[in-house]
Amino acid sequence: MTMDGLMVFAVLVLVAAALSGAWLPRWWLALTLAGTAALLGAAFWTLGGGAEWDWRSGFALGGERLHLRLDAISAWFLALVAVVGGAGAVYAREYWPDRERPESAGRGRGWWSTIVLCMGLVLLCANGLHFLMAWEAFALSAYFLITLERERSQTRAAGWLYLAASHAGTLGLFAFFSLLAARTGSWELGPMRDHPELAPLFWVALFGFGVKAGMFPLHIWLPSAHANAPSHVSAIMSGVAIKMGLYGLIRFSGWLPVPAGAGWVVLTLGAVSAVLGGAFALAQNDLKRLLAYCSVENMGVTLIGLGVGLLGAANGDTAWGRVAMAGALLHVWNHGLFKSLLFFGAGSVLHTTGTREMSRMGGLWRTMPWTAGLFAFGSVAISALPPLNGFVSEWLIYLGLFDAAASHAQVAAVIVPATIALGVTGALALAAFAKAAAVVFLGASRTQAAEHAHECGWWMRGPMLGLAAACTFIALGSVAVWPAIQQPLGAWNPAWRGGEAPAPLAMLGAVQAALAALVAGAVVVLWSRARTNGVRRAMTWDCGYAAPTARMQYTGGSFSALAVGWFAWVLQPQRQLRWPRGPFPRRADHVERIPETVLERVIGPVSDVVMVASSWVRQRQQGHLPDYILYLVAGLAAMGALVVFGNM
Amino acid sequence: MTSILEFIARLAVWLLLAPLLPGIINKVKAWVAGRRGPPVLQLYYDLARLWRKGVVLSTLASPGFIAGPAVAWVAVLAAAMLLPLGPLGASLSFRGDVILLIYLLALARFCTAWAALETGSAFEGMGAAREVSYAVLAEAAVITAVLTLSMQSGSLVLSAMLAPSAGTGAVLLAVGLFIVLLAENCRVPFDDPNTHLELTMIHEVMVLDHSGPPFAAVLHGAAMKLLLFSILLVQAVLPVGKLPAAAAAGALVAGVLGVTVGIGFVESLLARAAFRRVPLLLTTAFLLCLFALLVAWKGGAA
Repeated sequence: MTMDGLMVFAVLVLVAAALSGAWLPRWWLALTLAGTAALLGAAFWTLGGGAEWDWRSGFALGGERLHLRLDAISAWFLALVAVVGGAGAVYAREYWPDRERPESAGRGRGWWSTIVLCMGLVLLCANGLHFLMAWEAFALSAYFLITLERERSQTRAAGWLYLAASHAGTLGLFAFFSLLAARTGSWELGPMRDHPELAPLFWVALFGFGVKAGMFPLHIWLPSAHANAPSHVSAIMSGVAIKMGLYGLIRFSGWLPVPAGAGWVVLTLGAVSAVLGGAFALAQNDLKRLLAYCSVENMGVTLIGLGVGLLGAANGDTAWGRVAMAGALLHVWNHGLFKSLLFFGAGSVLHTTGTREMSRMGGLWRTMPWTAGLFAFGSVAISALPPLNGFVSEWLIYLGLFDAAASHAQVAAVIVPATIALGVTGALALAAFAKAAAVVFLGASRTQAAEHAHECGWWMRGPMLGLAAACTFIALGSVAVWPAIQQPLGAWNPAWRGGEAPAPLAMLGAVQAALAALVAGAVVVLWSRARTNGVRRAMTWDCGYAAPTARMQYTGGSFSALAVGWFAWVLQPQRQLRWPRGPFPRRADHVERIPETVLERVIGPVSDVVMVASSWVRQRQQGHLPDYILYLVAGLAAMGALVVFGNM
Repeated sequence: MTSILEFIARLAVWLLLAPLLPGIINKVKAWVAGRRGPPVLQLYYDLARLWRKGVVLSTLASPGFIAGPAVAWVAVLAAAMLLPLGPLGASLSFRGDVILLIYLLALARFCTAWAALETGSAFEGMGAAREVSYAVLAEAAVITAVLTLSMQSGSLVLSAMLAPSAGTGAVLLAVGLFIVLLAENCRVPFDDPNTHLELTMIHEVMVLDHSGPPFAAVLHGAAMKLLLFSILLVQAVLPVGKLPAAAAAGALVAGVLGVTVGIGFVESLLARAAFRRVPLLLTTAFLLCLFALLVAWKGGAA
């Protein structure tokens, strides 16, 4: 009963927020926060062991009765929607205010509440038809959020690409849900593990949800959309929206039977996404594109966990599958939290410097210490370094991988390469974030704009601090989170219901806490020792060179050049180099660009061919009546030939 | 009470013995070259002096410049405490501790690179870029080596993984891990610890701007890392855990000394490899570990 009330309240309040967004900013903020708080409460109630919420209405939409259901898997994702939805709403107040963006701020607020509501509905719908409707509404509201700054042509292009890719995925989902409805005779969704004939549908779902999840090579829309959207939108897109694709995969691989090869394929795709996402991220020189590719990488890491989970479930519900699946679920939360934090940080930088080019930044820690510190925190967390939360989830996935490899089962053939890939991914992520944090915040300012940057206000700082606090909680209290992880784990595979936390999880939490304390202690000791001995400030010692300038610093491009060279076969960097020539050289420059390989080298040429073919066909349509009669006769003749000769 | 005393004794072993290794290496190098060389305890004198010295900070450096070496030092020390010491075992042991160890070393790497990039110096940027890039290859080799050990022993606890010898693939694993040791500890042929100032440096160039107590932390951390890798290598290859306590302790000490002297010889007899050769060497290390893994895999299946 309370759940009914909570849900009705959340939906009504969010609808009111979406309507009031354009004119009543204060009311909108209060309403959105109230709505997300209600969603969070409902999610925690379910994750805390509360009963599954199942609600059927007599009201029919599209000929189907409304049926909503909140089980642990939905609740797991709903919690993330609520947290990032609330944090982003607060952040937007300062980041995208009316006085700076009179034209789009109101629209942005309205769509923000809409996307939070629609994602919530996607998670709740237990009817295939309504799921598709909510999915489409969610995809469209994301489009309107991405194109808030629609006067920029890049933004429009990014929005268009997103819309096209998203609908290609939706097409797959149409096929998935209608085939499912045709085979079961109903649009109702629920556990149907005893229908082995449904298993092949998994491949259709993998495509449809894979596009949304940004799985390599279906990620083509993701970098430009996340880079060109306003930063709070990038945060919810990267932190939450792409997780909806993952939700779909987890949801339907739990409800429906999966084909035998599912685990192998998901694991392989995950490993490929992780390594290549990491390599692409390292190569980027646009701060937000770097973060976007890093989402591809982290989706890959999560898919590795899901793949091991699927393999474990297929091989007699082994313990290693359970641990890895738990890691994947926890990584969903972790990535949602620290990726939103990083996008908020990037937004704070973008807000004051007006550029996303890392080569125009540098030395920002002096004027923006809060942002710099929080971005560094996020960088350590996302590189999966102890003692923060990214490490906990990757550690769980590693445990699953290592145990699976040691089991000497047949699966080791795919587990071993995936483990090595995960290790390489970790090193690539570390390199990418050392680059991002250092080039933006450390060293000397490369431009005037960077020198005169200013810190963001408390409305932007607050959400970042809140997300960092959530990350810290998971990092140190992972064992307290375990009972919550267990709920979706049991909902996904009933054989894994209950059971203890992997024994060392409590130990790991204690070690992480001790490590954090030791780190803090060591920093204090070293600082105070340096203070007592005396600290003198001097110019950076550049090997005796007396007049170093900011332009002599290592740039982001040079930082990643070495590793980019190793991945040149897939990154295909385009270089334009003009050497300085003659005794009085005039101009010399070096421009390097990393294309989105799949989009520009595969999909681009294919669509060019389609365009040529289409324009050739269009030339045959000149409006001459005799031509059309000829086409008609030719068509009839062909059909007649088919009938006559087909029967022979 | 005894456990606390034991913990302190263990800490003392790591903190006090680590700076001995670079001294031994330098003695070996001097002996091969026919020089007298610096005293074995030279690093201790250096550390004591640096700890009392003042600090010169770059005008560009943030507080992270001093925090970096502190965090890196703690990370290496914590990784060391996870490593079992032959018959003594580890001070802390749990399933998956080996992954924590690898990622603690990664944390140290992140902090060192961070501090290097604080100064805005092209040299240090270069070093940091190389460090994090080559780590991609070194990480692949290390993960493969760990996977080998875990498959061999069927365990994910360091003390159990390191107890038996690496079996048939031991030689492959030994050579692979030795190459990784040289790369991770900035020794010849990857790096030249004799100088900080060459265009082809990797690790050493990252610490150009450190001075005083933070520099002491950097040097001490590097010595601990060398000891850590030596002990890891020796225990991965020798069946230390299967021997009686005294023999195991003897084997461990002899093994670490052997590795140290070996580094000294490598450094005396080899020139630093051409820069473009570095990825090739690391890939070789990875392949060696991979072959060891295949041997362990087939061995376990039989």
